[in-house]
Amino acid sequence: MTILDARGISKRYGGLLALADVDLSVAESEFVALIGPNGAGKSTLLNVLTGLTPPTSGTITLNARNVTRSATHSRIRAGLGRTFQHGRLFERLSVLENVMVGAANRPGRSDTALRKAALDTLGLMGLERFAHQPISALTYGNRRMVELTRALAGQPRILLLDEPGAGLNSGEVEDLMTRLRAIRAEHRLAIVLIEHNMGMVMRLAERIVVLNFGSKIAEGTPTAIQADPAVLDAYLGAGSSYAGV
Amino acid sequence: MALRLLGLVGLLVVGFALSLSVSEYALRLLNLAAIAGISVIGLNFAFGYVGLISLGHAAFMGLGAYILAILTTQAGWSPWLASVPAILGTGLCAAAIGFPLLRLKGHYLALATLGLNVSFVIVAANWIELTGGTNGIAKIPGLSIAGYALSGEQPFLWFALVILACLGFVASLIQSSRHGRAMMAVRDDETAAAMTGINVTAIKVAAFALSALYAAVAGCLFATHVNFVSPDDFGFAQSITFLSMLIVGGEGTIVGAILGATLLTFLPEWLRVLGDSYLAFFGLMMLGILIFLPTGIIGLFDRWRRRAPAPETAAAEVAQP
Ligand SMILES: Nc1ncnc2c1ncn2[C@@H]1O[C@H](COP(=O)(O)OP(=O)(O)O)[C@@H](O)[C@H]1O
Ligand SMILES: [Mg+2]
Repeated sequence: MTILDARGISKRYGGLLALADVDLSVAESEFVALIGPNGAGKSTLLNVLTGLTPPTSGTITLNARNVTRSATHSRIRAGLGRTFQHGRLFERLSVLENVMVGAANRPGRSDTALRKAALDTLGLMGLERFAHQPISALTYGNRRMVELTRALAGQPRILLLDEPGAGLNSGEVEDLMTRLRAIRAEHRLAIVLIEHNMGMVMRLAERIVVLNFGSKIAEGTPTAIQADPAVLDAYLGAGSSYAGV
Repeated sequence: MALRLLGLVGLLVVGFALSLSVSEYALRLLNLAAIAGISVIGLNFAFGYVGLISLGHAAFMGLGAYILAILTTQAGWSPWLASVPAILGTGLCAAAIGFPLLRLKGHYLALATLGLNVSFVIVAANWIELTGGTNGIAKIPGLSIAGYALSGEQPFLWFALVILACLGFVASLIQSSRHGRAMMAVRDDETAAAMTGINVTAIKVAAFALSALYAAVAGCLFATHVNFVSPDDFGFAQSITFLSMLIVGGEGTIVGAILGATLLTFLPEWLRVLGDSYLAFFGLMMLGILIFLPTGIIGLFDRWRRRAPAPETAAAEVAQP
């Protein structure tokens, strides 16, 4: 069953066509990777999907509901979750409070229930020992993990992750991958992952979507994408224009 | 919860003890401090939690005071009854204004709320048949409980302290609730807050309306205590004073709001010797606080607490044989 369906998404910034007629469809508990050179429009696509910026044209369906014009918060309440490329935490709240805010997206949970849900989710991510720390006490890697935990605490059905591995060391990337796999298996969560780490993408994704200059240039299984001449040319191949890995 | 109740009882005990031991003049200042404290706890919702710079807070206090004054002196309502439309009407008015106004951010919002305050004063000074113009409204009846008039400084202070303690308690409950966290999330990062399912506009309007409700309660107390209101009492300078009280005490904390309100109510009296140079002193003091104590007086306590060992561990160490 399709959870998220974006059709014909275009986004124009003045003279720049950041997205040109992009389709993206994600099924329940599917793991999709979104790759492409810097400036390809990946983050912009997430901004359109989450309602931070309206598309110039196109429609977005979430859980069979047209949300093209919906506010961000109502999309989140309808089962969407997201993290940001550069990490955005509530700096003056504690780690636990950050995650409690994430857990509070459904009405009618008592404060005790919220606290328990937040502690459980922190436990799932191996972060319970940081619960009562201020955000400023966290390492960069842990900040990114707390942001992911905050999104997970909202129990999304589909999670959009914007370069969660950027800036993590190799041990942290391994840990992130293990946890993402476990969470998806346990919660039937669909994931859209933007990532430059090709090892990570190839090992996790069931399907890969490739953007270049705002257009979708390829879509398929990791094996097919690795052999796709257009992708090789734009992104993976030697001597390509891509310099961002 | 225990800590919160302790704060509530502590405030009442300290206030009551003071009320029995200080001069009539100090009692009057304590009353003004308690009223300002209620108003500043309200401002803390908008500025301390959500980060909305409001320079129009005094207008909401004035609106509450004027509605009560008009209903009691012109329609003959009892002040208790008049306080209901005064408080609720002010809250509704703030919500209605908040919807368009709170789209503005930072300096723009500060300027717009300042404009709001100036407009309020102009209306209050010129709608003469309703407000008495610059002469204000006199002979506002005082409050009485079960036939006992709260007319003296001392009984009024007891009453004001109870209201201050109760409203401070309610504010602390809101602060630690999901709504309080949502407010602080909006302050720290609006986009990330929306991404956790928070309706950012609704939270801003709610905090703004809540701040106006508190201001209106303070306005009603002011009107029934002084028995007189005039446009001068609610000018934008008063709004700036409220903001200064919150910053001096420590934005984002209820105890800070009360401390700041008390300190800045007494300070001009203590420094009366300075005469006209008080304002210069005040400006320098604000500058010093902003630079050296960005988290206010409360921040000073926090620093001291972090340096000193926690009391429990100290006690535990002593208890070791
Ligand atoms: N708010 C904006 N205003 C103008 N241009 C933008 C804006 N956001 C993104 N862009 C442009 O859109 C293009 C795609 O950016 P982005 O989606 O961030 O790429 P990616 O995430 O794939 O690296 C870039 O050329 C970028 O400069
Ligand atoms: Mg990006």
